[in-house]
Amino acid sequence: MLKKQSFIFAFALLSFTLCLSLAIAKDNDTASAASSSVPSVLVHASMCERVELLAPLNQAVAFSVKRDQVFCLTTFNPVPQQTYVYHTWFQRDKLIKIKRLPLNPPRWTTFSSIQLRQADIGPWYVEINDREGHLLKILRFSVTE
Amino acid sequence: MMIDNYFPSLRWQDIADIALNSYILFRLFVLFRGTNVLRIITGMAIIWLIQRIAAAIGLIITIWVLQALTAAAALIIIIVFRNEIRRVLQTKNIKALLWDIPHPTISTTVEIVAETTFELAQKRIGALLVFPGREDLSNAIHSGIAWDGLISREMLLSIFRKDAPVHDGACVIRRKRVTKVGCILPLSLQKDLPSHYGTRHRASLGLTERTDALVICVSEERGSVLVANNGSISRIRNETELVSHLEEYGGFKKKSVFYKKERWQLTLAAIVSVLLITGIWFSFTRGLDTLKTIEAPIEYMNRNPELEILNTSVVAVKLQLSGSDTLIKALQPDNVGVRLDLGKALEGANSVTLTDQNIKLPPGIVLKGMEPSVVEVTLDTIVTKELAIQVDWVGQLPPQSVLQKVITEPRKIRVKGGKQVLKNIITLYTEKISLNHIGKSGQQTAKLAMNPALLAPVSPSENKVTVTYTVGNRE
Repeated sequence: MLKKQSFIFAFALLSFTLCLSLAIAKDNDTASAASSSVPSVLVHASMCERVELLAPLNQAVAFSVKRDQVFCLTTFNPVPQQTYVYHTWFQRDKLIKIKRLPLNPPRWTTFSSIQLRQADIGPWYVEINDREGHLLKILRFSVTE
Repeated sequence: MMIDNYFPSLRWQDIADIALNSYILFRLFVLFRGTNVLRIITGMAIIWLIQRIAAAIGLIITIWVLQALTAAAALIIIIVFRNEIRRVLQTKNIKALLWDIPHPTISTTVEIVAETTFELAQKRIGALLVFPGREDLSNAIHSGIAWDGLISREMLLSIFRKDAPVHDGACVIRRKRVTKVGCILPLSLQKDLPSHYGTRHRASLGLTERTDALVICVSEERGSVLVANNGSISRIRNETELVSHLEEYGGFKKKSVFYKKERWQLTLAAIVSVLLITGIWFSFTRGLDTLKTIEAPIEYMNRNPELEILNTSVVAVKLQLSGSDTLIKALQPDNVGVRLDLGKALEGANSVTLTDQNIKLPPGIVLKGMEPSVVEVTLDTIVTKELAIQVDWVGQLPPQSVLQKVITEPRKIRVKGGKQVLKNIITLYTEKISLNHIGKSGQQTAKLAMNPALLAPVSPSENKVTVTYTVGNRE
């Protein structure tokens, strides 16, 4: 009799353990799936004269060519998983430069820049796209004398 | 050989040109003949001819003087002969100006006599006018006073005026002159004459019974006109009938002779007009052959309205033209056109070969060659697309200032243009806005720069945007 009860107890324990492990495994799967479908969110994008400590300095829409450099700074929060974004630079609808920038969880600030020359005077814009190519934002600015 | 060179290139327009101008010249002759205008115009034409000859042999001063004369000729003619010109233009209707040939009034002896006779009859003034035939009248006519005056209306009226001493007698007319007045004529011996016939009737019959003369009798009582000849007398109703009688009787120059001469004169004038205009036409169009190269812009026609011209290999065609020196010198770029039919052109690149049919030239100018002979035309389908607007800043802000933010209103605009053009365009820029005069935040209006020019806003009113900008201090 005692042997039979022990067998039933062991079977129940085994079943409980099995169910528990299945449930945990299922939870892990759901969590993993959720983390891959949540996109990184662009919370800040700006053109600026300089980047200091990952912060934009003198955000502007017109930059003198004498400043030598112009920066495009973007901040993503959250960044669910490691991914990357593209900064694509255009001068009057003419593609000048594509910069692929990595993003790392959980929050990431990144930037790209161009060196300014006299020939660069005119209107510009930078397209910010995610890794799938979705357009996140366009930043427009001018390079002036 | 020379004729072969000239005539094969004659077009129907050239024939019409010569014919029309010949007719105009002929009409000028018809309308102004007999006036001084025609003589002066002839003089001017001679001056022009001399000028051409002087130009051909290089008489510099002569050319200069004659050029000044011919330049002022039109003005001189209009001022000096304004009355004649006004008379022609005012007294003629359109038909008379363009078609009728006015005959000059010819007052022959016969007409003067006929007209005066009926005037005498109307005034109830009796008269007897004798027109001798081949026979001598000296035996038939008694007394009479020698006169020898050229026939005129006034003279005949004064001879038969009631208070004139010779008014009861007959006057004798030979050719264009009144030779005798106050003549006594023999009376008729006929017994069966109407009772109302008076002495004048009997006298006129009496003379014609004895001689081959013709007598015009104007009845004082009845105011009637009768003509007696060969012993018979008949009533004349009107001037034309009397003229006919007198002309038939002979001894006077007939009108038909005059008209025949006039017909010859007009025919000669017509021939001279045609020859003169033909000569001028050939001197203008077939003179020294001169070559000229002209650049003519291309006009595109019959384009499908859903397509627009995206690009062409050339905007103008070089045409090598030939013609007389006069025509080539007078040639203006507006007179020459190159028209390209795009009726069969499709979207994309089209090659169109230029032919003579594409070139519009003034008469007398011949196309010798063209470059290029093939034009590439790229057509594009017209579509609409929404474009973002971006401000095109130029200049510089003060060193301490930063242009922090710009907002345009509207932010986007729908434009229409070629599909291929719009494919690579996502931004429409404003005209350049200077930063030099911006010191603080503000707002201004800016026009959109439609670049390329083939673009246009769907709504024509949307060619301006409001630009609101924020200026901050540099950190």
